[in-house]
Amino acid sequence: MSFIKKFIEQETLSRRNFLLASAYGVSGAAAMRMFGPSPVMAATYSDPTVAWSYRNRTNPYWNEIVSGGEAFVESLGKDKSELVHLINEGSSEKSLADVKALLAKTNGELALAIDTNDAPNARPVVESCADAGAYVSTLWNKTDDLHPWDFGDNYVSHMSWSDEGPAEQTARILLDAIGGKGGVVHLGGIASNNPAIERLNGLKNALKDYPDVELLDAQPADWDTQKANQVMSGFITRYGDEISGVHCANDTIGYGVLEALRAEGMDIPIVTYDGNPQAVGLVAEGKILATVFTNPHWGGGITASLAYHAATGHFKPSEEPNEHREFNGPTIFVTPDDAKEFKANYLDSVPTYDWQDFWGPSNGPIVYK
Amino acid sequence: MSATTSNLEAPAPSRINREVLVKWAPLLVLGVLLLLFPALEWLEDFREGKDHIYLLDSRFFSIRNAARIAIAAAPALMVAIGVTFIILMGSIDLSMEGTVSVCAVLFAFMFLALGGTLASWAWIAIPGALVVGAVMGFLNGLVHVKLQIPSFMASLAMGFVGTGFALLLTGGDRIRIEDELFRSLLTVRWLNFPIMVYVALAMLLLAWFIQSRTTLGRNFYAVGGGEELAKASGLNVSRVRIMGFTLAGVFFAMGALLAVGRIGIAETATGNNFMFVSITAVVVGGTALWGGIGGVWNTLIGVLIVNVINNGMVVIGLPNWIQDATLGLLVITAVVLSTDRKSVSFVK
Repeated sequence: MSFIKKFIEQETLSRRNFLLASAYGVSGAAAMRMFGPSPVMAATYSDPTVAWSYRNRTNPYWNEIVSGGEAFVESLGKDKSELVHLINEGSSEKSLADVKALLAKTNGELALAIDTNDAPNARPVVESCADAGAYVSTLWNKTDDLHPWDFGDNYVSHMSWSDEGPAEQTARILLDAIGGKGGVVHLGGIASNNPAIERLNGLKNALKDYPDVELLDAQPADWDTQKANQVMSGFITRYGDEISGVHCANDTIGYGVLEALRAEGMDIPIVTYDGNPQAVGLVAEGKILATVFTNPHWGGGITASLAYHAATGHFKPSEEPNEHREFNGPTIFVTPDDAKEFKANYLDSVPTYDWQDFWGPSNGPIVYK
Repeated sequence: MSATTSNLEAPAPSRINREVLVKWAPLLVLGVLLLLFPALEWLEDFREGKDHIYLLDSRFFSIRNAARIAIAAAPALMVAIGVTFIILMGSIDLSMEGTVSVCAVLFAFMFLALGGTLASWAWIAIPGALVVGAVMGFLNGLVHVKLQIPSFMASLAMGFVGTGFALLLTGGDRIRIEDELFRSLLTVRWLNFPIMVYVALAMLLLAWFIQSRTTLGRNFYAVGGGEELAKASGLNVSRVRIMGFTLAGVFFAMGALLAVGRIGIAETATGNNFMFVSITAVVVGGTALWGGIGGVWNTLIGVLIVNVINNGMVVIGLPNWIQDATLGLLVITAVVLSTDRKSVSFVK
């Protein structure tokens, strides 16, 4: 039984060491706080764990985001399986719990890219990361009063997209295509989602300049192809030939609309959003009039890259100007004229991005209303 | 105990009235809805001062819209028929979303690998998908019967496994089925209705045959009507249950095929929403949740009610949270109507 005795001795010893070390750690940290130059004296790590926290991969959009994260990890010479996936399945509670668990496991040596699922959840996530000395970059969701520069170096950056302007531009393309008169319908995302609201607002803004076009109806289709298909069939029954154009909140909805039109033998212009590969293909075929590409692959990669390079000390976030800490992601319009070229450049072969060109493709600082 | 005895002696006539009502209520609801939506439409046009002859000028009450409702209902009908067999046995199957996704995705993979058009060997993908559905249903039944896990838990868990498996297969991508021949399910119409509607009708007749003319079908009723009695009569209940889940799997696969035929896309999300729609349809159609009462014709009525509401609400321009709320209320009403609360000693 000597091996058991040895094991217990070892464990006792390591526990004692651990207690001593942590006692030193606490007082040491306190001493640092007291005598250190400033509270933003964040530690950096040579090889932090890289993690992406998101809803799930079923949605093509999030799939693109995460593939960007994987491409970044590969650019570090690691295997893409070394990217840690925290999947929240649409639950903010799970999102926060997963982050806390990973912080404990990595002892704070973490570069985290995250969409916190909803805006209020961003604060507890950022605070836990900052307390543990980890580095976090957020995407999409955060409240307006939460800013990276209030957390020294640990809250590296926030990226989002303003959809109102681009949605307005696709709406103008649609309204011009129907000759500035007739009726349009809008199929939206989940009614309470911010992008869904912004995209509908974009259409409404454009409509102000087209007095002869009537917005016949706008109904949520929950970003879902089959739901969109059914809602569109209902619209066709209700409005029939009065519908001369369709404004869709994203590509997934657009696919369902196209099939509903096809079943009726109707051929009217539609515009979508997101620039998924299939939608771009349909734009090239002339079935969709326009879509907007937000480059989720780059967005997913650069968010992880920012957190990673801050964590390794490659750059110091607190020395960057505010527009480098909160900025809008890229938006690229895809229309039949340039769809083929766009497809060749971005989709057929995913471009190799320079993951240290943090702000090159971005689209200006976030403006609060 | 005395309470139960006195309940058994409850006067017979009132119960017969209730039974008649329960039997015909779903059809009555469908009829009312079919007249109500055109009426609301008429009212709207009347207010705006448009010419509108009730029913004749109705956009809702037209052949073309009937076709739209039928297209929307066809895949849901297949899935709902599958789960009807299970509910007849007094169990429940909640694996449909996962099973439909897996069948749709595997069908698409097989179809594209074997040539990508029905004119080639790719037609094998259709029976292939049905086999996949049968296997998933069989596993579902095995988990339920052999591991003695309540059917709702076993099937729900198997459904999650299915969704995860479908995601693993696709990696989150969607697969397009462009073949004109396969898509003729939607695009080719006979007598105003696309082919998929006739396929669904044929499957409905097959389901009715299984339910009423085969031993298996009658055994479903025997198990649902009184499992102890069925067992005592020498029926192999476990075997009937496993066969029921397998059969349900085949119908789920059929639903997957029609869903892919309808939008031309197979993906992990293909199965979304089928659970809510099919269970609602079965219950609203008048099939009792504790088994033994109802059948595939009730399910047809139930599926039509659900789809008429979905379509009609958009046609008269009501927001979609009202649709969900209405369906929720209908479910409660249907269960209240079809439950003889005097004979139910407890609810769990």
